[in-house]
Amino acid sequence: MIPVIRHTFSRYISQIIIWGFALGALCAYGLLLYDSLVEPEAQQQYIQLISNYPPELMAFFGDMTQMFTPGGYLDTLFFSYIPIVIGFFSIFSCASLLAGDEEKGILDLVLAHPISRTHLFFGRILAFISSTILILCIAWIGIVITLPKTSIEATVWEIILPFLSLFSLLIFFGTLTLLLSLLLPSSQWAVMVSGVLLVTSYFMTSLAKLSDNLRPIEKFLPMHYYQGGQALTKMNWSWLGILIGFSFLFSILAWWLFERRDIRVSGESGWRMSTFFGRKRSVSQKAD
Amino acid sequence: MENTIAISTENLVKCYGRVEALHGVNLEVRTGEIFGFLGPNGAGKTTTIRCLLDLIRPNKGIVRVFGMEPKKFPHEIRARTGYLPGELHIEDNTTVESTLHYLNSLRGNKADWSYINQLAGKLNLELNIQIKNLSKGNKQKVGIIQALMHHPDLLLLDEPTFGLDPLIQREVLKLVAEARARGATVFFSSHILSEVQEISDRVGIIRNGRVVEVAETEKLINRTFHMVRIHFKYPVDAQKLDNIPGVSILTQQDNQNVTLQVEGEMDALIKALASYVVLDFETEHPSLEEIFLAYYQEDGKTI
Repeated sequence: MIPVIRHTFSRYISQIIIWGFALGALCAYGLLLYDSLVEPEAQQQYIQLISNYPPELMAFFGDMTQMFTPGGYLDTLFFSYIPIVIGFFSIFSCASLLAGDEEKGILDLVLAHPISRTHLFFGRILAFISSTILILCIAWIGIVITLPKTSIEATVWEIILPFLSLFSLLIFFGTLTLLLSLLLPSSQWAVMVSGVLLVTSYFMTSLAKLSDNLRPIEKFLPMHYYQGGQALTKMNWSWLGILIGFSFLFSILAWWLFERRDIRVSGESGWRMSTFFGRKRSVSQKAD
Repeated sequence: MENTIAISTENLVKCYGRVEALHGVNLEVRTGEIFGFLGPNGAGKTTTIRCLLDLIRPNKGIVRVFGMEPKKFPHEIRARTGYLPGELHIEDNTTVESTLHYLNSLRGNKADWSYINQLAGKLNLELNIQIKNLSKGNKQKVGIIQALMHHPDLLLLDEPTFGLDPLIQREVLKLVAEARARGATVFFSSHILSEVQEISDRVGIIRNGRVVEVAETEKLINRTFHMVRIHFKYPVDAQKLDNIPGVSILTQQDNQNVTLQVEGEMDALIKALASYVVLDFETEHPSLEEIFLAYYQEDGKTI
């Protein structure tokens, strides 16, 4: 399994650097503005400014009433919207983890080597998890470096908590996409379904703060269990467990499917859906 | 059983949805032989090979490689096998050397790098080039090296010479023959009759998912025919040519131009033509499809 992890991880290196340093820089830059924001005069100006914005817009930036607390500030600055940005890293990465390579025909050659499907599956998923952890670690380091230069009273270990919540959400969407990529006709379908769920979930959960009608639905959306900056002060470990638990379930289901399915060759994507709808294809298209 | 039979399939059936790609394939490949698997596109060659490696699972039937079922012992079978896919796809953003290092690591680093360098030299391939900068033919060379590099007991080659220039094609066929000389079993699919004729001990013909013939290569060659176009200087009685054993008239434009089909050796025809003044004589190897047609017409069967 080690060669698989090493090789898959090497494919992520550029993404780790780009995502990690971009998020780290964003965190560091934003954190440096904290002290200017919490000055009484500035606070008044911000409160006035915020009151002029429609609440429907403010809902997407976390709990703005908590903006002058470290957790609330981190939430508004970074954690409230970042899942929708980096969530797509998880979705695209996991869509190509197996199904993408399968569609390119690469998996055909790899699996002709003495490596079990189980080892390939878990090797690749571990490489993805490690990459996600590294990206978040670089972003965390961005905060840790800047933290002593601000008046935020939080330890570097407390800062880990919102990242832990973000990690659980990314793993949730990653493993969901992986499962869908093995269920649906192509990796593009998996990206589309997961992407729509991510965006819808983000909007619905944000708007549920304003609408009582959305609250019952909200509990069925993954973003509801994402705590963001609020995890800094009151981490809900059950919610973290729910996201990690579902990720584990999706992984096991995806592994089960991968163990039992045919490996498609390049250009074969979509045949199962055509089978489902009863469309006939000629043998020559794939049975050479 | 393992001593004599490297590959066996019994009533192998594989369906893709509603499409049945293999309709009960029965095959036996002996240990140490080169077995050419012939068939037109879509006949089921690749599907059969992929069943042997547990890349796809048959719906019915029994598959054994070295006496083991691929579904139960994929790791053991693959460890002893070198595989070249029909459509080779390799990650682009890496060099040939890195690709071979990675694939070798999946085999527990069992390949001998001096042999890899030797193979690369024979195939005229530089190892430090990026895969994305390689032509189709050069990518095929990478596939051939990775299939051979660990001295496998079984080589599964799906159209191994596809995309290669004639010189390298010859080199690949030489490498295949060397592998056999070392004791390896070679199962290779192709629709190029000439290369199958050149190196195969036995040939299996698959058509529409059924193995329709397994024969010694010599026997198959005897069944093949040539198309011969003759332009005579003076009008001739073409019926006299039709009476020569193995010769039949396909078309006769006029008394001076005739197209014949010659089965087996050409000797009798050439001797008969010695009594005529021949201005032009053209022979053409038939396509595999034409051989199939002739093959079945001979048996009076429909295709």
